[in-house]
Order: sequence, then structure tokens, then C-alpha cells
Amino acid sequence: MSVSPVQPDPSVIGGVPKAPFALMPKLARLFNDRASRFEALAQSSHLAAYLNFLAGITRIQSELVSALPPPEPVRADRVERARANAMPPIDRAAMGSSPDCREVLRQFFEKAEALEKPAAASEALAQVRTADEEMLTWMIGNVMADDLPVESLAHHLYVAAAMQIHAARLAAGLDGSRLVPIRVGVCPACGGRPVASMVIGFHGAEGARYASCSCCATMWNEVRVKCLACGSTKGIGYRAVETGDEEATVKAEVCDTCNSWMKILYQNKNPSLDVVADDVASLGLDLLMKDTEYKRAGFDPFLMGY
Amino acid sequence: MNVDLSRRSFLKLAGAGAAATSLGAMGFGEAEAAVIAHVRPHKLTKTTETRNTCPYCSVACGVIIYSKGDLRKGETADIIHIEGDADHPTNRGTLCPKGAALKDFVKSPTRLQYPMHRKPGSDRFERISWEDAFDRIARLMKDDRDANFVAANAAGVPVNRWTTVGMLAASATTNETAWATFKFAKSLGIVGFDNQARV
Repeated sequence: MSVSPVQPDPSVIGGVPKAPFALMPKLARLFNDRASRFEALAQSSHLAAYLNFLAGITRIQSELVSALPPPEPVRADRVERARANAMPPIDRAAMGSSPDCREVLRQFFEKAEALEKPAAASEALAQVRTADEEMLTWMIGNVMADDLPVESLAHHLYVAAAMQIHAARLAAGLDGSRLVPIRVGVCPACGGRPVASMVIGFHGAEGARYASCSCCATMWNEVRVKCLACGSTKGIGYRAVETGDEEATVKAEVCDTCNSWMKILYQNKNPSLDVVADDVASLGLDLLMKDTEYKRAGFDPFLMGY
Repeated sequence: MNVDLSRRSFLKLAGAGAAATSLGAMGFGEAEAAVIAHVRPHKLTKTTETRNTCPYCSVACGVIIYSKGDLRKGETADIIHIEGDADHPTNRGTLCPKGAALKDFVKSPTRLQYPMHRKPGSDRFERISWEDAFDRIARLMKDDRDANFVAANAAGVPVNRWTTVGMLAASATTNETAWATFKFAKSLGIVGFDNQARV
């Protein structure tokens, strides 16, 4: 009797895996998929002009992550020290001054020149490209502090987009299983603020919620029905732009404890949702939320001011 | 608002429009205005997601109940969906076939919503008040316990046994409710008894 190469594995029967704590960015797909999503959304949106522009920005991000040589990884002893002290292993303060990062910025700004854009966007890019060392360091510092000054949001958009490339490259080199939770709403890889959170539907984590870092694109598990700004589980509600009988797949998770809100995307209901592209495309929700008592807690350098 | 309007320390980079939003600053004010015009007539719908425990068995799986409307905001709420709670350590988002059909259990037209009584010899149930139900249950329990209570075992040792009545209590209870239920049943001497406290 021949022995079948297919062996039974009873251990998988009835086993429900624990959702992984952190999902590191997959560079080969992250920006490429996001750019495609921006383009798809642009086809049926009042925001088409901006979505197409961001699709171009994201395509450049995608090209650069595949063209650039891998960055110097975060040292293993640094990861272990960060683990022991519940700190993020990526040093945001130091990241912006590395020559490797500056080269990413330079190449990104150069490529962004070719994008079709309004005069204001061109002017801002020209100023960013000619910025002196002090000015560039200041802008990188603002981006790394997740705190953009209101009078130069356009300039900081370019710097933030370029820093996303470098941060995602660093995060992609980390082992997600070696990260530890730091605090509610804080990225375990780089300490950044989340754009929004997403309920995912893929095998092994069905129905689990992951917050997505606005800087390094790491996704980390956060308990559902909880405010990602203050950690409260009391007084959580959801708001959505009315869509008839259909259940909305992008909602605002509001918190009555700290009066803030953050978007939650139900990727388990619509697998094509992308946390950044759909954050921008759902601007209508931000506009309606602006008239409520809640303030936006999600941080997205492409959608500031709401 | 996620930018601090008071933070204008470095004005060296002020853009042409110095708009307060990314879209305005990048020169996409027209697209922004189009979205504003489009969304203005729309309203925000309120929904809630509430954690609870499946009431079927003592495994007590975590569930999330989705409702339309927010009771805390003075609205009526209607359950639209129930699913397993992925964060719950017991079931990690999974539910058994009974648990997966919980919404039908809530919405069932035959769901018991108030005390019902089928009189001896009758072929149907009739609604009675809680007052009458409690009185009748207490009366019947007392009569049965007086008639059948076992106060001593065969060896003459005093015991507290009421073997002619059984009790099945709900699983979706807190620790404290389970404790109180257990004390109630055991102090009466009910032997045939199951509730959440067993787990």
C-alpha cells in the first residue's frame, strides 16, 4: 500500500489562532495597493482631483521602496532594550537625520516635481526642495512629532509622505512578534499616532481590529469598542454618513469620555478598503463630524484640518 | 480639528492661501467645496456596538451586538447584527451554530417576553402578570418542598435535600448573579441544579 504524501493534521481542527499583535508593512504591496485604491476611488468621487494627485504621490512611494537598497536595520539590542522598557524600537527623533533618510527625501521631492498639481502645491514643493538645513530639520521634526503647523500644511504633506517611505522601510525590517504594546493609540514600532483603525477579515484574525500607524504603516491589535485616543471603553458610539439601508463600511468611533473620534474601517465587509486612501476619500464624514461636539483624533498628513 | 490654530510660530513657510486644511493648502479647494456641497444634505446615523455574553450555555462566549440608534442619545435602538467577539479569550470571535443564530433568537416571534401560564387541562398559554406568576410559583414550590423535602438521610444524618424540583439558570450572568443564584437554589436544598457558577 502506498503512503499518501498528504498527512492528516488533527491539531488544526477546532483551533482558533490568537490574532497576532502586530502586522508589519509589506513593502512590495503597501504603497502599490494604496495607489491603486486611490485611483479606483478617484473614478467616482467629488474629490477626484486630489485623490489622483495622492495616487501619484503613493506611486512614487511605491517606486522608491522597490528601487532603494534596504536600509540599515534597527539593531537587535535596540529592539530588546525597547521591549524591556515598553518603548518603540524605531527612534523617531534620530530617524530624520540619517543620511539614508535624507536621500529618500531628496529622491522623493525630485520625483514629485513631475506630478500634475495646482499652483499652490507646486509652490510648496519648490519651497521644500530649496529649504535650507535648518528649515528641513524643523519640518522633519514637526512630522515626527505628529504636529503640523497650520500655515504650512502643504509643505509638510511632502515631507510626511517622504518620511512614510523611510519609516515603512525600517518597520518592514522589524519582527512583529518582538514588539510589545506601549499605550493605547501608540504605534509599537515607531510611537506614531494612528490614521484610523480597521476591522480585518483575513484568516487568523477575523473580526479583530487593528490601528494603522500614520508614519510607519505598522498595524497593531487594539480591542474593539474602545477609544483609541483615551483608552476608555465607556460611552463609545458610532456615526456614519447615512447611506440608505446599506450598512456603512467607514464609520466614526466616538468617545463621550474624551469627546474625540477616529475613523474605523470595516475591511471585513469591504476588502478593498485602504486605511489612508479611504480616510481621504471619506472626507464627507469628517465634514459632518465637524459640526458635532467631537474632535478628530485620527492623524493623517494628507487630511489635516478637520 | 487636528491642527492647532494657535501654533503659528514659524511663518517663514506660509503658502499663498495659508488655508487651514490640507486640501485648501494644496490648491484643491474646489474639490473640497464639491464634497461640502454634496454631503451637506446628508445626516449622520448613529449606531452602537455593545459587548455581551451569549446566553445559551455555560461556555459564555463573547458577542458584539450591533444596533441602529443610540439609547444613550435618547434614541430607540434596534439590533441589526450579532457576531462573535474577536477580542474575547474564550471564543476569539467564533460562535457555535446556536450562537451564530442569536439575532433570530432575539427577534423570534415566539420569544417569551412575559410570564405565560398554561392551566391544567388547557391547550394554550395565557399571559399573566409578574405578581401572579411569582405568587403561583412560590405557592407551588412551597407545597412541593413541604411534601417532598428530605431532612435526614438513611443513616439519620441531617441533610438539606429537595429532589423533586430542578432548576436551570441562565449562563449570561455576572459572577455576583451566579453566586446569588447558587445560594438561592442550594439554601432551598435543590439538588438538580445548573448555572454559570459550575464553570
